[in-house]
Amino acid sequence: MTSYRLGSGGAINRGQSLTFTFDGRSYKGFDGDTLASALLANDQMLMARSFKYHRPRGVVTAGSAEPNALMTIGSGARAEPNARATVVELYNGLTAASQNRWPSLKHDFGAVNDLFSPFLGAGFYYKTFMWPGVLWEKLYEPLIRRAAGLGKATMQADPDRYEKSWAHCDLLVIGAGPSGLMAALTAGRAGVRVILADEGFRFGGSLLSESAAVGGQPAAEFAAEVVEELATLPNVTLMPRTTVFGWYDDMVFGAVERVQKHVASPSPDLPMERLWRIVAKRAILATGAEERPLVFGGNDKPGVMTAGAARTYLNRYGVAVGGKVAVFTNGGSGYRTAADLLAQGVDVTAIIDARPQSADPVPEGIRIIRNGSVIATKGRYRIDGLIAERSGFEEVIGCDALAMSGGWSPIVHLMCQRGAKPVWSDEKQAFLAPDVGGAFVAAGAAAGQASLGECLTDGAAKGHAALEALGRLVGTLGTPEVEGEYDPSFAPLWYVPGARDKAFVDFQNDVHVGDLGLAQREGFRHIEHTKRYTTAGMATDQGKLANVNTAGIVAGMRGVSPAEIGTTTFRPFYTPVSFGALAGTARAEHAAPVRTSPLHGWARKNGATFVESGPWYRSAWFPTDGEKTWRESVDREVLNVRVNAGLCDVSTLGKIEIFGRGAAEFLDRIYSNSFLKLPVGRARYGLMLREDGIVFDDGTASRLSENHYVMTTTTAYAAEVLAHLEFSAQTFWPELDVRFVSSTDQWAQMSLAGPKARIIMSRVVQDDISDAAFPFLAAREVVLRGGLKARLFRISFSGELAYELAVPAGYGEAVADAIMDAGREEGICAYGVEALNVLRVEKGHVTHSELDGRTTADDVGLGRMMAMQKPDFIGKRLSMRFGLTAADRLQLVGLKPVEADKEIKAGAHLLKDGAKPSTANDQGFVSSACFSPTLGHFIALGMLKSGRERIGERVMVWDGLRGSEVLSEVCPPVFVDPENSKLHL
Amino acid sequence: MSINLLHRHALEDHISGFETDPNPNHLCVIRRPVIFSVLAHEGQETAVAEALWNAEDVAPRFCSPSEWFAVSRTLGAETVAGTLSEIAGASVVDQSDGRVLMEISGPSVRTILAKCVAIDLHPEVFEEGHSASMLCCHAEANVARTGADRFEIIVPRSLAGSVFELLMEMGREHALTRGFAG
Repeated sequence: MTSYRLGSGGAINRGQSLTFTFDGRSYKGFDGDTLASALLANDQMLMARSFKYHRPRGVVTAGSAEPNALMTIGSGARAEPNARATVVELYNGLTAASQNRWPSLKHDFGAVNDLFSPFLGAGFYYKTFMWPGVLWEKLYEPLIRRAAGLGKATMQADPDRYEKSWAHCDLLVIGAGPSGLMAALTAGRAGVRVILADEGFRFGGSLLSESAAVGGQPAAEFAAEVVEELATLPNVTLMPRTTVFGWYDDMVFGAVERVQKHVASPSPDLPMERLWRIVAKRAILATGAEERPLVFGGNDKPGVMTAGAARTYLNRYGVAVGGKVAVFTNGGSGYRTAADLLAQGVDVTAIIDARPQSADPVPEGIRIIRNGSVIATKGRYRIDGLIAERSGFEEVIGCDALAMSGGWSPIVHLMCQRGAKPVWSDEKQAFLAPDVGGAFVAAGAAAGQASLGECLTDGAAKGHAALEALGRLVGTLGTPEVEGEYDPSFAPLWYVPGARDKAFVDFQNDVHVGDLGLAQREGFRHIEHTKRYTTAGMATDQGKLANVNTAGIVAGMRGVSPAEIGTTTFRPFYTPVSFGALAGTARAEHAAPVRTSPLHGWARKNGATFVESGPWYRSAWFPTDGEKTWRESVDREVLNVRVNAGLCDVSTLGKIEIFGRGAAEFLDRIYSNSFLKLPVGRARYGLMLREDGIVFDDGTASRLSENHYVMTTTTAYAAEVLAHLEFSAQTFWPELDVRFVSSTDQWAQMSLAGPKARIIMSRVVQDDISDAAFPFLAAREVVLRGGLKARLFRISFSGELAYELAVPAGYGEAVADAIMDAGREEGICAYGVEALNVLRVEKGHVTHSELDGRTTADDVGLGRMMAMQKPDFIGKRLSMRFGLTAADRLQLVGLKPVEADKEIKAGAHLLKDGAKPSTANDQGFVSSACFSPTLGHFIALGMLKSGRERIGERVMVWDGLRGSEVLSEVCPPVFVDPENSKLHL
Repeated sequence: MSINLLHRHALEDHISGFETDPNPNHLCVIRRPVIFSVLAHEGQETAVAEALWNAEDVAPRFCSPSEWFAVSRTLGAETVAGTLSEIAGASVVDQSDGRVLMEISGPSVRTILAKCVAIDLHPEVFEEGHSASMLCCHAEANVARTGADRFEIIVPRSLAGSVFELLMEMGREHALTRGFAG
């Protein structure tokens, strides 16, 4: 037996055995295991194949930095690729499968890559597959991708729920190791709102792997006691299984909580993962430090792992990583690991110390090789020995596991995500956290503290400092005594010379020292270039183990300090975050908010087909029996409005109530046309310009009483117009007494249009609405038969006699029903926005198809609405710019095909007849087009260079996109009733 | 001819089927609350606020500087309109049909709302009687704390269905029930 479960010890529940499978084979583990610890307990050291060379790999770490042991967890739609076995919490029935191998993990055909590895160095693809270029996408890239790789994503829909939530606190503590626990306890006892988050499923961090005693009890028990106290504090929120992955503006932290990843049968009522946005007044980074691997020949073989990992498997999970363990170290960590292994009865064959001498206590009976190094490892699927070298003499040492320690790197990612770079410390031989201001500070090992005692003290001190900054003055917390402490300091050793095999820097991407050297020789010297050229520091682990060693080795090659090399850029996410968590509930029917009109139910009842218009769902057309295409419905609706009457839902138009003594003057300045003398009880069409003289929006404003107006806007610009009004009132003319509020949602508004509109409306409205009593553009409150108060406007978008009736939204459906009933004998029909569009094109009215942010009032034929005699209005000055008044500007015209059966499409370009289609020859474009059932052929509105002078000319409507050319005649834009005789019936 | 008009609540189609007894966490949709927008004109802000806070059976909800909702579940629209119209320096407009009022309550209410709004609803920060405009489930909303574990949410009618469905989704793990009241 090589690696095995100890008879006792560890923070696992030996009373609860769990069954799981790996590559189809069944294993047993315990509650409290990770997948990796359970596999090791079953002597399964081979866990993966490497990315490029398909080399056999085991675990290197016992935490989230793991580069090797990536597996696919679960199956079917729930299959999750690239899960790190070192952090996957074991549960009953878990299924795991190895990746990037065929036909099996042990016999992987792809391992042939390793034989060819001398030809497969960094940049190999770019140099080799250069010609012919077309083959890259079709042949080379697919081949390479098949040969190398990670796990495969499932193509099935995710069956689980995800959520997002906000959290707020005075102090966020990131990491629940010794420093984090002390910081949280200090702040928690003082009563401030604390959130303590840790990526692990059990709080305690390194205390769980520690053999020292804290406060007179085993470290893990001390941790449990602190957690227990924290759990009783109502002001403290404990968030286990929660990775704080990003630091964003204004002290907002992103975190992902794995709510049910560890559950055998997830509840459908709970999310699988929950994304948190944590708003913190202060934060403490207590993420600890990562142990560096040593870079020596054959350092990637199964059985070689960090000393800290070996200690964690031993002390936390009760697993011996080997039967005969060798240690290779440049600091105290190796000695402590040897001592811990020995104490559990594991045979330690030798400590190979790279330093000539050290003060670290040598455990009794262990052979020590000082000033030594490892230059190769033996064995394939698990090491069975190593070659040590000392002063030119080589020696084979038997072992089935090798614990290595290359020193410690503080985990400073979060503090470096907003631009600040980590700072190299010669004293600590490590990159330390930058100073990012007092609100976010590092504590303990993350701040470069080395020993457990220092971490506990620093955590408490940083917690206390946070309290002071929050204005809570309290006494300092005593720090518990640590017994059996060791000195974790180390001497730098970036690269072990004399390697007989590849010495890997980045395990996940198969980047070895030779690749880094090649990058320097080929000119990719900047560390960011070195990264891109070699792929060191990429992929799922983002170089958590590799980056610092890369900087150190490149510094050594260049003969400079790592300070000069620096690090690559740190970005969120610290560890991978699923798309599901990022999407949260915003998927399927919750993907976007839905806005419905108060007449939605009425439209549905009448068979409407709906169209999305921004967040709104608007009724587009109302098919009746036998109508197979939308055009049939729309043609019928249009003709019916022109002959009888139709009812259309216009509730989505923006409505803004305007109050104040200054309202008239305000509107006069907001609109380009005059509003000062609009009488009470009248509506007026209004045109708004932007400051630059371009048309902004159009609509109507009606004066309901002396100081009360209601403005309508287009559906799309309702919010923008309200913001524009507020901005103008507050910043341009604060002296005007005017106030606004949106009432869009208050009113169900319907347009009743057609020659029979009055007779129908008079059956519903009590008031006299004869042409004399209620003429064109009348607007006032009326009472419906039955007593309901409503607003009635005589305005028309269709060119027909028309009324818009606004009733309180809750009555909308009932009133629309009543109008349909009242109009049945007159042949009323419901019509949608498509018919509305045809009616307005026939009448030559413009919408945002024409008011597209480029056109002036004059361009669209509304020059008469520029009341230049007014002292000022928004857009007046800049509308006089030369460019906006030039004679060759595009102007609104009508277009009709010369051959009546031809179709004009919106978006097509206009060319002089016979001209070649080119940008230089472009004369304009078609802005709106439709089939006019009234005229029996297609009609269009278009923007044509000097268009109004060219009525009668023939132009080519050229649609290169859809491949059509239609010779058309330029005509005035009003196709139906240009005399407006129908409006005044 | 007289027309008998039926008033329909925006969530009528969303709350159908069997009525169940409310769970501890419950979302209650108020059927016909009276909601007015109250706007204070320049220089009248304090006086209007004071009058609003003193109005009987009317709860003021802060929307933005010099803008409030006046909410009543007991009075009729005419009565509220009468009371408000007496406030000098204020303009008022009935929004009762344009807004949907939901009351969410129960021991998990803050956990549920943390998924819906970005604002800190801790009782030390957002006290009873406080109200503010904020995004709630992607919609503009006015949220007020009306009890230790009770909040009132006012949203535009057109978005009420969407917000309601999301609130129920967020309350799923806490067995949130829903129903009409009043």
